[in-house]
Amino acid sequence: MQDGTDSPPPPVSRERNVLVLDLSKSMLAPLPDTEPQQPERQKIEVARTAVFRILQDAGATGSLFGLVTFTETVRAPVPLGEIRKENLSYIENLISLLHPSGRSAIWDALAAGADMLRMGPRGVQGNLVLVTDGWDNASNRFAVNIPGQPPPPGGRVDLVTYMLPPQSALTLRVIGIGNGMERDKGVDGARIQELLNQMTRRAHELGLPAAFSFQEVTTGSALFVQMVNAFVDVGYEDDRPIEDLHPEELAQHAANAARALKEPQQHATVSRLKAGAASEPYSEAPDLEVDVLASATGVAPANLKERYGPLGEIVEAYLAGQFDVALGLVQRSVGVLPPVTRLYWEARVQFARRAIVEAARALLQAWNEVDKLPPSSQARILRRLALLQARMQNDKETETLVRFIDDTEHRLSGADPKIRDRLVDLFTKLMELRGTYQLTRIASGGDLQDAAVNHEAAVEQVFGQLQDARLDLASAGPVAEGALDFIEVCLAEMR
Amino acid sequence: MGEVKVTTKTRRAPGARREAKKGPESARIAVVGIPASGKTTYFRFLAGHFGLNLPILYIPARTEGGQLPIFGDLENDVALEETTYETTDPTDPEGSLETTSRFYVNRPMEDRKKLWVELAAGREEQGVLTKYPLPTKFNQFIEMKMRFRYGAPDGEAGSKPMELQTIDEAGGIIADYFTYDRLWLESEAAEVTEKSCRVIPHYDSWRPDRRDLWRRGLTLLGRFVQSADAIILLLSPALPSLHDQAQQVNLARGVFRYVRTRNLPLVIAISKADKLKEFYTEVEQSVRERTYRSSFDTTDYILRRDGGGMGTILVAQEGRGISTKEDVFLISSAVSTGGGHPLLVGDQGEEAPAVGVPTMGVPVMVNTTLPLARACERVLERRATKGA
Repeated sequence: MQDGTDSPPPPVSRERNVLVLDLSKSMLAPLPDTEPQQPERQKIEVARTAVFRILQDAGATGSLFGLVTFTETVRAPVPLGEIRKENLSYIENLISLLHPSGRSAIWDALAAGADMLRMGPRGVQGNLVLVTDGWDNASNRFAVNIPGQPPPPGGRVDLVTYMLPPQSALTLRVIGIGNGMERDKGVDGARIQELLNQMTRRAHELGLPAAFSFQEVTTGSALFVQMVNAFVDVGYEDDRPIEDLHPEELAQHAANAARALKEPQQHATVSRLKAGAASEPYSEAPDLEVDVLASATGVAPANLKERYGPLGEIVEAYLAGQFDVALGLVQRSVGVLPPVTRLYWEARVQFARRAIVEAARALLQAWNEVDKLPPSSQARILRRLALLQARMQNDKETETLVRFIDDTEHRLSGADPKIRDRLVDLFTKLMELRGTYQLTRIASGGDLQDAAVNHEAAVEQVFGQLQDARLDLASAGPVAEGALDFIEVCLAEMR
Repeated sequence: MGEVKVTTKTRRAPGARREAKKGPESARIAVVGIPASGKTTYFRFLAGHFGLNLPILYIPARTEGGQLPIFGDLENDVALEETTYETTDPTDPEGSLETTSRFYVNRPMEDRKKLWVELAAGREEQGVLTKYPLPTKFNQFIEMKMRFRYGAPDGEAGSKPMELQTIDEAGGIIADYFTYDRLWLESEAAEVTEKSCRVIPHYDSWRPDRRDLWRRGLTLLGRFVQSADAIILLLSPALPSLHDQAQQVNLARGVFRYVRTRNLPLVIAISKADKLKEFYTEVEQSVRERTYRSSFDTTDYILRRDGGGMGTILVAQEGRGISTKEDVFLISSAVSTGGGHPLLVGDQGEEAPAVGVPTMGVPVMVNTTLPLARACERVLERRATKGA
């Protein structure tokens, strides 16, 4: 360690992602889809669409993103950096010009991706995703030693050691296109798996986290799903943006929301919610990206199919009011969509078809699926499920509470993480007041007074935090202010 | 008997002293409440009461005959002093303030009804007696000071001079000050800073003159509650707006916190009690039938049936500076017949007709002096304990 102590270095503050994309000639080959009537698309087309999507996410969340492409030559068209909205169209144009040709220098490209994530003595820090459909046949600097096979030509650097120096925190995910049992028909699965095995062993030797995975995909939809593991939802037609609310309406909303906190029997859904992802255990399950698309106008957002693959088609049919078509698509998407996404959409479509029992059954299964997700993905998906549940039960109070928390967190997704965390923490504390309030309802005599004193002390504590947040976030913008107003009215209502 | 009359600087009664200074021995009681909680009515009607000795109803009827040792301060001819602080030029970046004082002086009364009407007209002009509160003004606040005495003059210790203070027409200065403890001053010379004002929602988006006025008002209030010997908290039980309800609950919580940290006596007056239907039924019966003895249980009504809309909060405070039995009162200073007209009753207790020939009558006040007397009692108890 540089300072001569054994204390670990501080964690990297922003997410760092590098995509290593195969641009060899074989990427021009068509990739079949699960839907027979769907036209085949080239692998590169599917990959490009997914890259656009990943870029948009990086632009919205403020995470760092870099792109490495390879044929027999390795290039870095997008160096690791913050994706600014104003630069997005330029980068997208750049990616649309990428044209496959030549052979595949997979190992050299992975090394270049690792270099992009390298942070001096802290080793390689970040997430690396490799998308390839081939075998390495052009690397001239790096190699992977395969036991029982001839050693690589002399002078090649061992890729495993190079990618994983001490102190690293690297996640590597390989998405292999096509079946690689036969050379030139798909990814070299055996070698990729050997690479990952060696990296896992080295990670254990060095005491580093080992998060390396390999997934083979054989259809366009599956490739898309692997690259964009998503939960997509659309808003409801009667949604109104928070900033459109008159202060008295905001107060009315907050009062309604407080009712959901005060009456748990009538608003059982609230108990399923989690306000934030703080202090959650580590999970190796892949994150599920959550997108909520506005549809206040009833018009489907553009390029749904291109952006979300088969899920986009379901959403498009749903928004067009073709619920039976949407349901058919949902039922055919088993194995393609993440289970929670599919079950949620089944519930949503069934609810739109007024098949309440079927909708409730699907939603119940979706609730169960959320538990299997990594904790970081759970909070937002739980809220989307809670929103649908509240709609189904005509529970306006819960709906208001969930909507407000969800909207606020979503709007703050690109804001300073400290601001976001602070507000999420306040929402969490607000939710926790349910407990002390309930005790004031069931206690009597001396116990009632104790319960009332405890509840008041808890409210005062949260109110103190709210005041400090007001002072510290005075210039944090209208979203933060709106959230603080909402919490303040809720606190007043918790009496 | 001393009487009260509205006057201003230009209409000052002959011989009236220009400045009414608080004597060193005066005890100060601060009255606090959100906009439209009844502060103005409380001050003006009490001032009228001291001069006119109007009847007060106590529900349930007081066993000791309804006498409370509260009197107008005849040694000081100014009964009520109102100083208006107003921004004169909203575009002035310096935010200059102009102050104007109005004095209500004790004066012999010739015609009780005439005098009452004169007072009522003053209030009606400002909308105080109307059913709906004034629109909030953001360019002025009024400091109100009322002087009176507590204790039987011929008693062992004699009567003590007292001063009741508030900031009126402030559109929420009081609520903000108590709600946000980050604004609280720690000395009578301290000032509320611009920086700490940011704890108030959207403060930065206000016009500079309003921000300045607000900060000055907060400072003035902070200073006088810092030196207060007791606080009376006025709570309105029937607020139509959710914003107002939230503001009142936050104020109440803040006041409880304030008196606890400073060990100050607190008395709560749930004003406009005529809006509490069940209570008002008892009031009506008491007005019509003077021998009627109400069995209305105020504590039970407020706490168990949440009559003031603050049941849990009051339960939590019981024993922590207040006793809900002795320190919480339902009051109504201006019982209305609707349409902004006070309910007037004749000498026999019959209601004066609202139409036809004007009939002599006096306005019904319900329990109004109880919180004041209780506050005085607690101040004197505290002083006696300290002295001992």
